Amino acid sequence: MARKQIRVSRGMLFIWFMLTGSIFLFAPQNLTNRFQFAFARIFRWPLSIGRSISLSARTPSARGRLIDPTSHREYENHITNLEKWLEQKHKKVEELSRLRDRYPLEDVKFILADVIPASDRSANKLIINGGKNYGLQQGQFVLGDNSIIGTISNVSFRSAQVKLVTDPTSKIAVRIAGLNVSRIMQGAGSNSAKIQMLSTKHEVKVGDDVYADKKIGFLDDLIIIGKIAQCKRGVEPLLWDITVKPVCDIEGLNIVAVIVMNP
Amino acid sequence: MRWFQFAVIILAVTVLQASLLDIIAVTDWNIKPDLLLILLVFFAIYCNTSEAIITSFTIGFAADIIGSTMGPQIISFGLFGTALAYLHRVIAIKKMAYQSAAIFITGLLAGVVVLLLTYLKGQPTGANVYAVLLGTSLYSSLIGPFLFLLIGWWMRIKTHRPGRR
Repeated sequence: MARKQIRVSRGMLFIWFMLTGSIFLFAPQNLTNRFQFAFARIFRWPLSIGRSISLSARTPSARGRLIDPTSHREYENHITNLEKWLEQKHKKVEELSRLRDRYPLEDVKFILADVIPASDRSANKLIINGGKNYGLQQGQFVLGDNSIIGTISNVSFRSAQVKLVTDPTSKIAVRIAGLNVSRIMQGAGSNSAKIQMLSTKHEVKVGDDVYADKKIGFLDDLIIIGKIAQCKRGVEPLLWDITVKPVCDIEGLNIVAVIVMNP
Repeated sequence: MRWFQFAVIILAVTVLQASLLDIIAVTDWNIKPDLLLILLVFFAIYCNTSEAIITSFTIGFAADIIGSTMGPQIISFGLFGTALAYLHRVIAIKKMAYQSAAIFITGLLAGVVVLLLTYLKGQPTGANVYAVLLGTSLYSSLIGPFLFLLIGWWMRIKTHRPGRR
């Protein structure tokens, strides 16, 4: 029996595809993200290999160094965190000398996850290979090189999307070293973020550490997030225009840790 | 049209675009050629109109899979791939210079529509997007016509026909 051939006009073909595109455009992000997660999972190995090759090609040779730059940065950030925690502990000991306090992040569970190099990191998002199956939830903080790099923005069963602190829609409460005020840090793209609404009466300088502030249920201690890279008077003369650079080399990240409070 | 070869090249290029292509990225803005855009223009030029429509939307879908959000590139690539296929019926885009110009203009127009649709969806577009768009289109247009030879060989499509005697 002859096979019946289905003929569709070019106009209809175009309209069908446009409708499909519109459905993708207006469908909820958590549904459409599943396609991206699925691609990232299926092609995990070639993507990882490609990413490793491109990273090794772009990173200058580390031969002859005693400690590789990633480990050095991790140690440096870890030491900065410890110094800050120690400083806080001293203050608490002085103020509340008779009250017991627990060690920072003592009851916290860290979920380690691999970064899946599916999407362009210049898009300020990462996909990681852990999701609801590991107890991840939206809003949880993500550590890279012992510093906060972002928060979980979308979760599927086996993967999650991390919104980096440099993403223009990212807003995180932060504290600058030496200041006793909390301010909002908003991502600015291009591997940087801005701290808003800080009066010029506060003394800040380039190189000062910036810490993610405590957030009930998500973070119960200050953790380093970046350093001040630029500090000038803004359009509003009474306010600082502060640019912060993350202390973590996000481009080179292969593994991250998600902070899960009260596991 | 050899659809199996098409599927293989789309998958390979999508993986390459998302990972290995950073090697040839230039400037601090990480400007790299858009291989999917080059494929889009190739199929719009060398396939018949119906095939060009199908390939344009498929390439747009692949671009969205590795992009920041789903939807904008399917519509944008589909729209401009189809438009280029119809334009090719009127103006032959055979010379390398014309192909280069076609990639550059398609890249710019498709990129602007992608930005508008991304904005419409309420997603962030990042900093220096127009400079990155211009750089990406220019970079793609420079290497695109040479890659056409490779794609033509893989798809068994003759990219250069002998002239009349």
